[in-house]
Amino acid sequence: MKIKSNALAMALSAVLLGLIAGAVLMAAIGSNPFLGYTYLFRGGLMSIERVGNTFATAITLTLTGLSVAFAFKTGLFNIGASGQMLMGGLFATIVALTVSVPRPLLLLFTILAGFAGGAVWGAVPGYLKAKFNVHEVVATIMMNWIAYWIIYYVVPAYFKGAYLETESRIIPAAASLKTPWLDSLFRGSYINIGIFVAIAAVIVIQIILKKTTLGYELKAVGYNRDAAEYAGIRVNRNVILSMVIAGGLAGLAGTTFYTGYASNIQIGVLPNQGFDGIAVALLGATEPWGVFASALFFGLLHSGKGFMNAMTDIPPEISDTIIATIIYFTATSVLLGRMWTFLGRLRRRRKDESDKEVQK
Amino acid sequence: MKKVLGILCILIMTAGVLFAGAEAEGAAKMKVGMVTDAGTIDDKSFNQGTWEGVLWAADDFNLDTKYLKPGGTTEADYLKEIGNLYDAGYKLMVTPGFKFETTIFKAQDRYKDAKFVLLDGYPHAGDWAPVVGDNTVSIFFAEQESGFLAGLAAALQLKSGALGFVGGMEIPAVQKFNWGYQQGIKYANENYGTSITMNPDNFIYQGTFDDVAAGQQIAASMYDRGVKAVFAAAGGVGVGVINEAKSRAATGKSVWVIGVDVNQYADGIYSGDKSIILTSAMKKIDQSTYDMIKAELDGNFPGGEILTFDASNNGIGIPAENPNLDADVEAKVAEAFAEMQSGELVVADIQGDLIK
Repeated sequence: MKIKSNALAMALSAVLLGLIAGAVLMAAIGSNPFLGYTYLFRGGLMSIERVGNTFATAITLTLTGLSVAFAFKTGLFNIGASGQMLMGGLFATIVALTVSVPRPLLLLFTILAGFAGGAVWGAVPGYLKAKFNVHEVVATIMMNWIAYWIIYYVVPAYFKGAYLETESRIIPAAASLKTPWLDSLFRGSYINIGIFVAIAAVIVIQIILKKTTLGYELKAVGYNRDAAEYAGIRVNRNVILSMVIAGGLAGLAGTTFYTGYASNIQIGVLPNQGFDGIAVALLGATEPWGVFASALFFGLLHSGKGFMNAMTDIPPEISDTIIATIIYFTATSVLLGRMWTFLGRLRRRRKDESDKEVQK
Repeated sequence: MKKVLGILCILIMTAGVLFAGAEAEGAAKMKVGMVTDAGTIDDKSFNQGTWEGVLWAADDFNLDTKYLKPGGTTEADYLKEIGNLYDAGYKLMVTPGFKFETTIFKAQDRYKDAKFVLLDGYPHAGDWAPVVGDNTVSIFFAEQESGFLAGLAAALQLKSGALGFVGGMEIPAVQKFNWGYQQGIKYANENYGTSITMNPDNFIYQGTFDDVAAGQQIAASMYDRGVKAVFAAAGGVGVGVINEAKSRAATGKSVWVIGVDVNQYADGIYSGDKSIILTSAMKKIDQSTYDMIKAELDGNFPGGEILTFDASNNGIGIPAENPNLDADVEAKVAEAFAEMQSGELVVADIQGDLIK
């Protein structure tokens, strides 16, 4: 329990630090930070549609954040969430465009295909790491670009839209994750049933990590590989499995993004959400519910940004910098955690010393 | 006593707020917004041209202006920014590029009291059946006429040898530039006795609007094959073409580029005031944006219409000044332009038996 409240304090102080850094930047270009933040938060929350858009942005970030966080638990740094997202999106798009079965089945197939696409893309670096000790950071980054160029070739060659050289055909309504009832509930925002996929993923990952032998083994490998091996845990199998699940989660992110938020897949774009997932995971202390909360915060920043631009004199390029600054500073939450424990230790030591002096 | 004072204070404050509000209302300027397409506001092409048109109108009519840059290139991202502008009171919005077609289709219904100017596209539901709302005007350009004039100018100036073309994506706006360009060259060969050759190998669509390195490579291989001038209608790919030509010109070789969309002369300068830009096939994006804002101010916004800017309304053409063209070449181009305006000269906007 103590660890949890520590993590929360850490995350909140990181958010505060990020907001202060953003405010300094706003003040530096001569804008009023209070006004800026008012419009930023109003932009993300002031109407039911905007709340829906904040959620819609958070869906993808939750899933990429979970992907990074999950791999992190096994001591792996997954920089490849973007590529896994692309492959998940591609697989999901292929199913959505070619399979014709009733809608509930089709959605299930689409989501499973998305998971599979990402899982395959995670499995390769996992295998390379387990068998040949190729560093996963290098392998996943390279896989990003392989995915990028595969999309570049496959989409125009087989799924090209009528006049759109750079986009696939539009996902038919029957295969889209958008639903009329969510649409009318949130007044035409871009929220879609991906939100349930994201929440389900959070719950499932929470259960895997906390309640299953698999989760225990994965974490053991993350804490100390050699000790885990000595204890009879099959390290290689766990490394691969961890990357498969992490990749699958990012694949789900791609599914919700390309067949829910967007209405088709575009070539020549490596989605930023994969990299934002790293910051989301760090701010969320790599805990599933923490990831969900920090994804909501980042979703708010991203969807409120445009309204801040529209209402103030802050140019779009600077506001991108402000958001990036906030994200950067919040991602230093790990450092802040170290500082908190250091300060705590210092206070305790001082207390001990003063106690000793009293005794003298 | 205190109560009365308190009420008085509240009344004064309320009045102050109300009057301040009324004052602001009276002095309210018209707000004109723009959402950028993929790429930056200083892209030397579509975004920049549109924004310059907005700023030009702001200068003349004292407007509030604002551009927003979407977080991605999906319809959701575009529509969000339109919503942001709308909520901030921007009731006239300009959107450049065909990628806004389905976005504007939704926006024109959702924001009935806002007006939209869509450049290079028309609103549709994703099925390419145009549905131009009463609050939307859709603007196209006769790229083929602009390409024709540039091709004619290049052929007349260079007289013999090979000419090439580099396109971005194979979309109608780029294709029409290409087809017009070829017709212009043929026209020069047939009517003015030039002997320019066109080889299918030298007419290439790169496939993107941002791959600078690929543009440079394609230009290098064309110049190696002896092509004298390359017409680059390709956004960032064209920047690569210009870079290649500049580095060759700096070593004393004679190579040319024909610019696109705006007058690119200044972008092609390699030493002193010498530029490798022979001329530019312009679409007057800024002019059309300005005209639409003016129309809205005058109360005659052409809502529901699809307008074409061509020679007849001075919506296309080559720059007024072309330091690299001879005076008699410019005169002949002006002659062809006048014939286009009178309808004597018609440039086809279809491929026919042209290359690609």
